[in-house]
Amino acid sequence: MAEQTTTTTTTSSATTTAPLLTVEKLSAFHGEAQALRDVSLDVAPGEVVTLVGRNGAGKTTLLRSIMGLHRNVRGSVTFDGATLDGRSADKRARAGLGWVPDDRGIYATLTVAENLSLPPVVDKDAAWSLDRIYEHFPVLRERRDFPGTKLSGGEQQMLAMARPLRAGSRLLLLDEPSEGLAPVIVNKIGEIIRDIKSQGVAVLLVEQNVSFAGTVADRHNLLAQGEIVESLPNDEFRSRTKELLQHLGM
Amino acid sequence: MSAFIQYTLQGLATGGFYALAALGLAVIFGVMGVVNFSHGAMYMLGAVGSAVLLDVADVPFWGALVIVPILLFLFGILVERLLVRWLLGLDPLYNFLLTFGLTLLIVDLVKRRYGVSGLPYQLPAGLEGRINLGGLSLSSYQLFAAFFSVVLCVAVWLLLTKTRIGMIVRASTEDAERTRALGINVGRWVTPVFGFGIALAGVAGVLAAPFRAITADMGSNFIIILFAVVVIGGLGSILGAVVAGFLVGLVEAYGQAYAPSFAQVLIFVLMAAVVLVRPAGLFGREEAS
Amino acid sequence: MRHTRMTTLAAMVAGSGLLLTACGSAGGGPSTASGKISDDKIVLAVLNDQSGVYKDLSGPNSVEAVKMAVEDWKAKHKDDAVSKNIEVVTADHQNKPDIANTKAQELYDRQKADIILDVPTSSAALAVATQAKTKKKVYINIGAGTTALTGAQCNKYTFHWAYDTYMLAHGTGATLTKNGGKNWNVVYPDYAFGQDMTKSFDGQVTAAGGTVGQKIPTPFPNDNFATYITKAATGNPNVIGTMHAGGDLINFVKQYNQAGISDQIKLAVGLMFITDIHSLGADQFKGVTFTDAWYWNFDEQNRKWADKFQEKTKTRPSFAHAANYSAAFNYLEAVQEAGSDTGDDVVAKLEGKKINDVFLRNGEVRKGDHRVIHDVYLAEVKPQSEVKEEWDYEKIVATIPAAEAFKPEAESGCSM
Repeated sequence: MAEQTTTTTTTSSATTTAPLLTVEKLSAFHGEAQALRDVSLDVAPGEVVTLVGRNGAGKTTLLRSIMGLHRNVRGSVTFDGATLDGRSADKRARAGLGWVPDDRGIYATLTVAENLSLPPVVDKDAAWSLDRIYEHFPVLRERRDFPGTKLSGGEQQMLAMARPLRAGSRLLLLDEPSEGLAPVIVNKIGEIIRDIKSQGVAVLLVEQNVSFAGTVADRHNLLAQGEIVESLPNDEFRSRTKELLQHLGM
Repeated sequence: MSAFIQYTLQGLATGGFYALAALGLAVIFGVMGVVNFSHGAMYMLGAVGSAVLLDVADVPFWGALVIVPILLFLFGILVERLLVRWLLGLDPLYNFLLTFGLTLLIVDLVKRRYGVSGLPYQLPAGLEGRINLGGLSLSSYQLFAAFFSVVLCVAVWLLLTKTRIGMIVRASTEDAERTRALGINVGRWVTPVFGFGIALAGVAGVLAAPFRAITADMGSNFIIILFAVVVIGGLGSILGAVVAGFLVGLVEAYGQAYAPSFAQVLIFVLMAAVVLVRPAGLFGREEAS
Repeated sequence: MRHTRMTTLAAMVAGSGLLLTACGSAGGGPSTASGKISDDKIVLAVLNDQSGVYKDLSGPNSVEAVKMAVEDWKAKHKDDAVSKNIEVVTADHQNKPDIANTKAQELYDRQKADIILDVPTSSAALAVATQAKTKKKVYINIGAGTTALTGAQCNKYTFHWAYDTYMLAHGTGATLTKNGGKNWNVVYPDYAFGQDMTKSFDGQVTAAGGTVGQKIPTPFPNDNFATYITKAATGNPNVIGTMHAGGDLINFVKQYNQAGISDQIKLAVGLMFITDIHSLGADQFKGVTFTDAWYWNFDEQNRKWADKFQEKTKTRPSFAHAANYSAAFNYLEAVQEAGSDTGDDVVAKLEGKKINDVFLRNGEVRKGDHRVIHDVYLAEVKPQSEVKEEWDYEKIVATIPAAEAFKPEAESGCSM
């Protein structure tokens, strides 16, 4: 018991100094067009960091590049001290990245329970048990035998976020979780993100909903035309919201 | 009325066989996005394989039903490793053309070795007779082939729905990229899935041997019907392939009975109608974006 | 617009006519003179299906048969032979009329062929007949079934050596009907050959006092005949006739055997080759009746030739193989008699010739329409238990005399 506590302490103290995810000078291309220009950012363990920008700014491309789903990429991505460059998407996932795509990525041919258990467990200690998932997302327990896409939009979003937690991912790449959801559900999603953070899981969050972003994140990166134009902590972001939005043309 | 029921039974029997033959095509397309034109040639190899095994090694039908699919599984793995794999990342047209070329090659080699007029094959022992059910009558073999096909379809369905392997295959079928991003090495499953799909074509070929002409060209007409089946069912949908298999079997039987010269045309009319109303087929998913 | 197109067409026709004349005078100068062998050699060309569905029943082994004919002919004439320089060339027409047309031109012009042999598939056969007529070169068809070759589309240079749809329908249809098979249902592939055959059978069965109840068309090609067969068995027929060929025939027969009606209803096959029986096994065909132009195990003479053929090809001959041999041999005989290989000279020697050889029994090359008539045979397939050796599949039920077997000359509709 004592030993285990020590290990945990060491890890957390180490991570406060070193970032969990580091992106350096990342450029991505769609054919001839450059979608990202020399983007650099980092996310510390247990930290919630956003990418804010209007449509087409390159937010989703950045998440896909980090995940290893975009082919035409230059620059480097480091996760937990090891480089991810040149590694396939499935290897990145098994290293601890948890991808939550903007279309939620729920499988129609899999039940809710199958959707949850599909990803292999990447970290036995960090992985949430099904019981723990159901405790945090009771609605998923009720619907566990439903086909994944028979859930409502909000429920699908919860399922999409619960999935990497069950696998033990240490960083969620969350692509517009609030999109298309009713305000009350958006609040609920916000609660879940804070809950996830309190469990020590980091989040890189892509958002267009600026006020929502301000309620959950520690830091923000403003993205315009494939470049990070400003990086700032949450309190400054909240005080300057109007001005920043104008600047981004949102 | 009893004639109608007789036609229906025949349609269902044929349909079960179509479902089984199309199943492999659907699985391969679903998981790999490969439109495997060589499916007809593999089916032909299944039938030719049974005939050759019988001739050379006295292997009866029941032995062929086990051995031939295993051989074709291995052949499928070879084809995937040596050829199909290298084109997977490219436009699906490349693999379509590759498997088309492969078909020409296989068919020609078989012609060269075994001629064009076909190989002999008998009904398996014990299934020569007929079964009579109150005025209706079906050949025992036809009944067996349909029953066996349905059992195999159910087995494949259970494998796909009740096992972790099946879950991974289904997930990869639905969206290979997303599945990869969830930590699953889709590539590792691709080779055996291709082999499995080819083995299913082989099973259909063995089943066909006792009641169809075993010639190098036997697959070239058949593949067209199979494509109609998978398009009607929805490319890549396993349930779709099975349902459409039965549907096409019935349409063909009714066509033969009531509009003889249009029996095959009707299948394609059905296909056109389905595609007009639901472009992705009865059970297919619409393409995102 | 129409006018200009017509003019262009006329110009093209005139132009090609000029070209032909030019070629003729440039290349064929000495050949017009009687008593000479053009290019100092006799060239026999076999134009048939070298790789497709008719490959086994004729194909490359017919080329072998023609080579056998050349050897036998040389052995017969030795030093008296009009030419010792005899070549056999071959081309694959893939059963397509357009390819057959081009290949025929190429064979006659560039390869200096003096005769074209075989040419299965009716549409291809007719295309080659047109070329033979234009080039004034001999053409003996063996592989095709259409009666048009010696009917509406006959010409001076075209001969039809082995069989045709009339002979098949007459042999099988009329004979079976007279023997008690009065009620027929016919299943046929829905294209020219199948339609022709069905018409011929209908006529012969009716003339013999029977009726054809249902005529059921099927797509072509087709694999699944289950319901067609069920339908054909309705109405209590004595005989079901199938006009399918090749792979479709095998599909049909396999499924017919599983339909459980073979004990009550006789199966008659319009056109069948021994290679079909071999590929399916005798038991699947047992009891099936069909008309054969020739059978290798019919008598000692046939058997001796079949043995020689087997030495070369490792297989037994179909009637097409024997017919190619016979046609090639008799062509050379005609060249010998004429002392020339010029088309008109050879035709003159062939016309009206009475022949008895390994293929033709009581044979005669009819002068009026170039139909070669000969005895043909009504055959039944033996059950496997009676098959004494490989390829020993047929029991000859009746010999149909040459005079009855083919369409009477007066009805041919041929005018040359």
